[in-house]
Amino acid sequence: MTNNEKVLSVDNLVIKFNLRGQELTAIRGASLELYKGESLAIVGESGSGKSVFTKSFMGLLDANGRIESGSIIYKDNDLAKYKTEDDWIKIRGKEIAMVFQDPMTSLNPLKTVGKQVQESIELHQNLQGEEAKKLAVEILNDVGISEPERRYKQYPHEFSGGMRQRVVIAIAVACNPNILICDEPTTALDVTIQAQILQLLKNLQKKYQLTIIYITHDLGVVANVADRIAVMYAGDIIELGLSEEVFFDPKHPYTWALLSSLPQLGIKGEELYSIKGTPPNLFKEIKGDAFAPRNPHALKIDFEKRPPYFEVTPTHKARTWLLDPRAPKVEPPLSIQKMREMEVKRGERLE
Amino acid sequence: MTRKKIMNDINDNIDPSLFEFAEYDETKSELTGYSNYSFWKSTFQVFMKNKVAVALLILIVSVVLFTAIQPYLPNQKSPTQIYINPETGLQYRNIRPNDPSVSENFIFGTNSIGQDLWARIWSGTRTSLFIGVSVAIFEAIVGITIGALWGYVRKLDAVITEVYNVWDNIPTTVVLIILTYVMKPSISTIIFAMCMTGWLQMARFVRNLILIIRDREYNLASRCLGTPTSRIITKNLLPYLVSVIMLRMALAIPAAIGNEVFLSYIGMGLPIDIPSLGNLINEGRALMMDPNQRYQLFFPAAVISVVTISFYVIGNVFADSADPRNHV
Amino acid sequence: MKYYVTRLFRSFLTLMIVITIVFLLMRMMPIEGYFGSGFDKLDAGQIEAKLKNLGLLDPLPVQLKNFYISLLKGDLGQSITYRPKVDNTKILGDKLITSLRFGVASLTLSLIVGLSLGILMARHKGKFWDKFGTCYVVGANAVPAVIYYLLIQVFFTDIFKLPLLFDKSVPKSWILPILCLSLVTTAYYAMWIRRYMVDELNKDYVRLARAKGLKSKEIMIRHVMRNAFVPMAQYLPASILYTVAGSIYVESLFSIPGTGGLLVTVIQRQDNTLVQALVLLYSSIGIVGLMLGDILMSAFDPRIKLSHEGGSR
Repeated sequence: MTNNEKVLSVDNLVIKFNLRGQELTAIRGASLELYKGESLAIVGESGSGKSVFTKSFMGLLDANGRIESGSIIYKDNDLAKYKTEDDWIKIRGKEIAMVFQDPMTSLNPLKTVGKQVQESIELHQNLQGEEAKKLAVEILNDVGISEPERRYKQYPHEFSGGMRQRVVIAIAVACNPNILICDEPTTALDVTIQAQILQLLKNLQKKYQLTIIYITHDLGVVANVADRIAVMYAGDIIELGLSEEVFFDPKHPYTWALLSSLPQLGIKGEELYSIKGTPPNLFKEIKGDAFAPRNPHALKIDFEKRPPYFEVTPTHKARTWLLDPRAPKVEPPLSIQKMREMEVKRGERLE
Repeated sequence: MTRKKIMNDINDNIDPSLFEFAEYDETKSELTGYSNYSFWKSTFQVFMKNKVAVALLILIVSVVLFTAIQPYLPNQKSPTQIYINPETGLQYRNIRPNDPSVSENFIFGTNSIGQDLWARIWSGTRTSLFIGVSVAIFEAIVGITIGALWGYVRKLDAVITEVYNVWDNIPTTVVLIILTYVMKPSISTIIFAMCMTGWLQMARFVRNLILIIRDREYNLASRCLGTPTSRIITKNLLPYLVSVIMLRMALAIPAAIGNEVFLSYIGMGLPIDIPSLGNLINEGRALMMDPNQRYQLFFPAAVISVVTISFYVIGNVFADSADPRNHV
Repeated sequence: MKYYVTRLFRSFLTLMIVITIVFLLMRMMPIEGYFGSGFDKLDAGQIEAKLKNLGLLDPLPVQLKNFYISLLKGDLGQSITYRPKVDNTKILGDKLITSLRFGVASLTLSLIVGLSLGILMARHKGKFWDKFGTCYVVGANAVPAVIYYLLIQVFFTDIFKLPLLFDKSVPKSWILPILCLSLVTTAYYAMWIRRYMVDELNKDYVRLARAKGLKSKEIMIRHVMRNAFVPMAQYLPASILYTVAGSIYVESLFSIPGTGGLLVTVIQRQDNTLVQALVLLYSSIGIVGLMLGDILMSAFDPRIKLSHEGGSR
């Protein structure tokens, strides 16, 4: 599943926006490595910067945003230094493609679905005309659209939401990219359709050897598809590890809080856990740990100094002072412990 | 500030006492959030950022104030009196502005029958502004009433929609011409004719807004949360409504001034003894082929341009600044 | 298909209502307009005889019926003061051809200039061309047209030595009227295409097109411009027909023998039947134009035939 060949490595990325005459720091020095063929999920609440972070890999930041510092290394090139459209054209689609959240608006309403898929093929696969059309029909079939020949000629308004999302995925896949970024790919869809789309993405990943980044706030999606999980809070990755490490042995209090708010983990008869307070104001400079004001386990140092990454295992690290040897021992909340026990029991049974 | 290297070493000189629990204060956790947004404040801020609009606003306010007080200033002449040279007993015909050879001082000169152009221009501006503002107000009253009924009373929707479709299909110019042709020329005729066409747009916008209050999710949500109707109206609807109404009214004024000029041009305007910008343009046009007399066209043309452009720009910039999407 | 039939029927109905309203309003006009110059010398008996002769003393429904019957025969009555006893259809026919020539010429000019300007504005949003175009659009929209027509007449005849009035045999005399006729419509086209393009540019599918590696230029040409043209298509025929019908200002300012100039003349001469004929002509043109617009738009946009809008354009 995972090997050690890095395809993308982001280091200490800082992204700023100008908004209402003020400067907003959307990404505050986030780092991430992506390995070939894996599925990485970036989770976080709205406004945590997960979309902005991945958009910067493709030069799709809004006009008022810019990369302040840091690097994005892809195939020995630093994408953070790319400025012109001509630079980005070499990356967009061909190397990294993206699937957006809302399939209802992601397609051009006045072009047939087939033409929109074909456009990707003609751009990136050196095929024109009939050949490109043939491949487009094939890909439509691959994404699970029945009667692709007939559907090729139809307009987006003749498709349902789930079907449109398949078309959007087909457009991305037709570019033949290395990396596929799926920005909340199932959020706008019915629950029954969600699972189908995720299964489809899994299948396509195998068939086309894709590395996939899922951006989501839905931990259910994550549990289904992700090999690794990066937890994002206030523009920084605060915990990163293999899926089971983050789910069953989380270290950062924010990850605890996030997992505790899963309804499945609620303890019967007790009120469902919810994270108190609001995310920090990104217009202000954040001192120390961004989560500290909302963290019931916050240490004094959390308000003073930003924690470094502490390594838990070679694949698992977290940015919290609680992992410092001098810090007092804090047990994760009951629900997290319960989850871990359940997993251990399940593991024993399997043995 | 951030470390690339994952580090677990302890040689960082951090005071160990810092590794104690901080006091957790739930209210403090709320403080970090951002919500100091105020609709009107942001609207004002965005508007003030547009230098051109602010300059025009100052300009138009001064012009309006000046037209109001001009007759009461000292040494003003009557806009309708024909001035006669006491030495020759003849009228002061086509005297150029500030002509030194004439003992009396006409700031903008006189017209072809010896009336003072300066006084006539301000009097005409008053007339035209009066027409413009009246049309804007009547349009707003009729448009909002019909629009509200249209949007609110579901039974009326189909009926008014059909009426609207028919009425909107007739060119505005045709309605103006035929109404003024049939009725006697007067200020009220002109205002009536313009209102007959102008309310359509206003009614449609108001109707669409009413539909928004009824159908938008956030209003449904507000109602479910028990927000009183008055608060829904002031917080959710009024911002939209005010900006749209202001825009329509601001645009109605230059349109009305333009229509008055048009009607005067085709001979359906005000009687010529009432100075209006349309009548002044017509008088100026009659003499414009004589380079010495062109001032009689240029002065009213300049005033019309200033007034119409100001209202148009201010209305549009205000509408833009009242659009929450521009509050960034 | 059903869409087209419904649309056609709606326009026809509108036209009938408008014709009826215009006819009824015209009955309220001063009766001088039916007599020409000698009105003051006529005595009451003569007036009544003439009115009776014209059918104006019949009850209104009868008048309306007769009016529709003559309309069906293509008869718009005879001119009274403008060219006495000449059929209005004949007068209008000659004038329409002249108006048509000017309309087509100015339309071509304003489409080319307006669309290029609007596209330029959308592509360089907030930069020089956008600001320049905005100034032009604001000026053309806000200031009454006659003011800049007059200024053009005053200065361009001086500076470029162009003839002041139109003369069919002098090619140079076509320039200024066409320029004037194009000014406002150019501003409209520029404004519309810019607005629709900016709307389109903010849509999600443009983001997707960018993400799949299309260049901005290709996105503009393949997606945005085409889509922005669809809502414009709706207004295109109406504006074409308006221009063809002739600008009332321009034709009378340059003494062009077209329908617009005619309207001003016959209003001043109080030629009731001719005013009525012209008003009917203009309203029909407006209604037909809007109908063609809707039909043209539905031809471009595959979504329209499915969803029936309830009249909220």
